[in-house]
Amino acid sequence: MKKIKKGIVFLLFAILIVTQIYPLFWLLLYSLKTNEEILGGSFFSFPAAPKWTNYKEAYEAGHYLQYLFNSVFVTGVTMLFVILLSSMTAYAIARFKWKYGQVVMTVFLLGMMIPLQATLLPLMFIFKNIPSVLGLDNFHFHFYFINIHFAWKIINTHLSLILPYIAFQTPIAVFILNGFMRSIPHEIEESAYMDGASVYRIFRSIIIPISVPPVMTVCILTFINIWNEYILAATFISSEKLKTLPFGVYSFVSQYSVNYGDIGAFLVLGALPVIVIYFLLSEKITKGMVAGAVKG
Amino acid sequence: MNVLKVPARTIAVFVLPCLLLYVCLVFIPILVSLYSALLDWNGISGANFIGLANFKTMLFDDPVFWPSVRRTLLYAVFSMAEIPICLMMAILLNRYVKRANTLVSIYFIPVILSVVIIGQLWKTIYNPASMGGMINGILNSLHLTSWTHSWITEPKIAMFCLYFVSLWQYFGYHLLIQFTGVQNIPSEIYEAAKIDGADGFKADRYITFPMVVPIFKISIVLAFIGSLQAFDLIMVMTGGGPANATETISTYMYNMSFLSMKYGYGSALATFLVVICLVFTVMINFVFKRIENKVS
Repeated sequence: MKKIKKGIVFLLFAILIVTQIYPLFWLLLYSLKTNEEILGGSFFSFPAAPKWTNYKEAYEAGHYLQYLFNSVFVTGVTMLFVILLSSMTAYAIARFKWKYGQVVMTVFLLGMMIPLQATLLPLMFIFKNIPSVLGLDNFHFHFYFINIHFAWKIINTHLSLILPYIAFQTPIAVFILNGFMRSIPHEIEESAYMDGASVYRIFRSIIIPISVPPVMTVCILTFINIWNEYILAATFISSEKLKTLPFGVYSFVSQYSVNYGDIGAFLVLGALPVIVIYFLLSEKITKGMVAGAVKG
Repeated sequence: MNVLKVPARTIAVFVLPCLLLYVCLVFIPILVSLYSALLDWNGISGANFIGLANFKTMLFDDPVFWPSVRRTLLYAVFSMAEIPICLMMAILLNRYVKRANTLVSIYFIPVILSVVIIGQLWKTIYNPASMGGMINGILNSLHLTSWTHSWITEPKIAMFCLYFVSLWQYFGYHLLIQFTGVQNIPSEIYEAAKIDGADGFKADRYITFPMVVPIFKISIVLAFIGSLQAFDLIMVMTGGGPANATETISTYMYNMSFLSMKYGYGSALATFLVVICLVFTVMINFVFKRIENKVS
């Protein structure tokens, strides 16, 4: 009886592996097939000979490296600023004596409930108009031999992604870091304070090094969210050379519909960085995502 | 010393950069959106102040609006219905499978992939067999040709195909959260219960379920809020079509704002979205507080 029960349970989880992973494996096979194999073949068949040229063509036709670089840049800068800004704020809320600490915290918590899409249109409007309101959209400065001329714009630059990304990741980051920092024993800071260390010094040399675990959680959450973000990028970016990977993959797929295998290959290439990172750090990532969910 | 007494300037240095960025990029846009919901505005020519007319049209005269709301809520219902299943799976995993962690991290892979990849992958899976679609291919090889559909281009079933992809992608996420919750219940409790004659499902009834309520709540909230904002996947797969059949509140807002250029009307929809997100978050928390009080 017990054996049968166990057997059923195993069967269940085996089926689940198939449903969860087979579509991804299918994509891999798909990306190595010729058009004829894709159109004529059955749902489960290996390509007669793996057609690696699909990858070569996809790589050459799309701007894969450019997209990848843009994603690395945007995600990296966002992560850096999220950590820096939110840890400072979290520390101030956790430890400083001031009236408005809880008010600030509430403001951040409130923001966690605001859906990102609702800000798309106003952000578009703000980004379009800020440079001209500040008079920087067509800036001339002439003073004897000094000649400065520039036209500043936000829309269709990486700044238009990084700024909202930072803003939307800070609430959860402040929340997680604040929760951790409140639990740090006061004695450590006290002795440093007695020795004459400034607040900045305490923050830099004591608080940050202790807070590495929650900082890792924040890093992982920010990475997964920002790396995969598509809508903001698709709304604010139009130049080919500024697109991030998800948007790049999307435009490649929608423009390039001649060769199915190439599309499959580009999708695999698009998924590759995250998959590689996941294989290296799967335990950290799953733990971080759960911690983020539970604390959020 | 429980709190650091620091000059106001130091507090400003720690808090202001983060807070300003956040307020400017999240709160001000929402306020702008509230205001522009009162305008008749296409973004180019001047805006006319029309009071609540946009809301009136939205609630009473728009044939697309209420079906979108219904789809959004149905999305939420389906996503939440998945979670009890995930909890049962998590209990089974914890009881019968030795290397459950590995299994859970395999199920988790779809979660970390970008919605663009997932959406495009499932679009190809749903394709007609003549275009290499997987599902229709399976049905054909089972001689169930009459069951084949063009899935996401058929208005009647398109939305359900999208629900399914979303459930598929986030299955691993909720399973992981529930699994962590189940794992964290100390095994001594079960041992004690066994001595008292309760094991198997009896133990689940009296130990597991009450103890995972907080974690269960987290999954429910995440699923619920996530589906209210359901957006990226639909934009990638159908863009709200065919004939508005897969429109949700968010996608409708986006299409109105950025495709139909009805900025005022789009803002009214955005306002509605923000309001129901806030209302439902508060409501869910209230309901669960009552449940938790009853259980404990």
